[in-house]
Amino acid sequence: MSEPDFSTFPLWERGNQFEDFEVDQVFEHHWGRTLTAGDAMLFSSIALRYCPLYVNAEYAKSEGHRDRVVDPMLVLATVIGLSVEDLSEVGGPFLGVNEVEFGAYVYPNDTITCVSEVIDKRESASRPDTGIVTWGTCAKNQSGDVVVKYQRTNFVAKRSRHDGPHQR
Amino acid sequence: MALTSANNYFEDFEVGQKIRHARGTTIDEVENQLLTKLVMNTAQGHWNEDSMSKSPYGQRLVFGFITASMVIGLATQDTAENAIKELGLNNLKFKKPVFHGDTVYAYTQVLAKEDTGEGGVVTFKHWGLNQKKAVVFEGERQVLIKKRGEGEA
Repeated sequence: MSEPDFSTFPLWERGNQFEDFEVDQVFEHHWGRTLTAGDAMLFSSIALRYCPLYVNAEYAKSEGHRDRVVDPMLVLATVIGLSVEDLSEVGGPFLGVNEVEFGAYVYPNDTITCVSEVIDKRESASRPDTGIVTWGTCAKNQSGDVVVKYQRTNFVAKRSRHDGPHQR
Repeated sequence: MALTSANNYFEDFEVGQKIRHARGTTIDEVENQLLTKLVMNTAQGHWNEDSMSKSPYGQRLVFGFITASMVIGLATQDTAENAIKELGLNNLKFKKPVFHGDTVYAYTQVLAKEDTGEGGVVTFKHWGLNQKKAVVFEGERQVLIKKRGEGEA
């Protein structure tokens, strides 16, 4: 049997573009993520996070914690990661992240889920094929405690643009 | 014998203090591909060399938050070894693209400090510079840091 003509396979599109966002729109992001002890040690080690709260369980216990604390930078990176498909995968680069507040400590095997709301969208003066969107994102653990919240602003490509970094 | 340094408790920081951190790090596959995928960032612009070779950048872009994590990581021993809690971040800006093979260095200035009783909050401004001394990342960070207890060095 010969191989099929792959050019006839339609793309299963992922991600949203500028026209897809409306102020106050809410996204419940996919999957959630259980952050394991392995995830935390890997991230903290590679990211040079030399704080014993994150890498020494006995020290963390001596400070009143029940286990090592999961590195908040891992928590934030994971929440941003889980939000990318909905918010920025086909869009464009970060303009900024603001007002990051870390809430409850995260411990190994806590499960994080996150929700974002569109706060603002506007045209870009310098890039007519691109807009600027700001989202507020909030992440919670399995008990409903807020673990991190923040605002993020990105360039987001319009559907008319075909030369973006994430073109397919 | 202490597990942490004796010179980075709350009392040790002064507003205006400048720090050039001891180490830099090259950002390669381990830092970008591995960590970007670990945190489930689905944007293939960070990990599909073939598609990015056809983009205006010509190659994969490092996920900005990995750059931020590495710069803050380079500053962590000095600024958070004795942390009680990292409280937050603000005004994070990603000023230039970072590519595989680039090396980042971290610089810090103390913007403010506030005694909160059991410890104190120090506000840091961090800059990440690449091997050409261009700022690729900057941001502010608040850390609740222990005070030096009685009898500790």
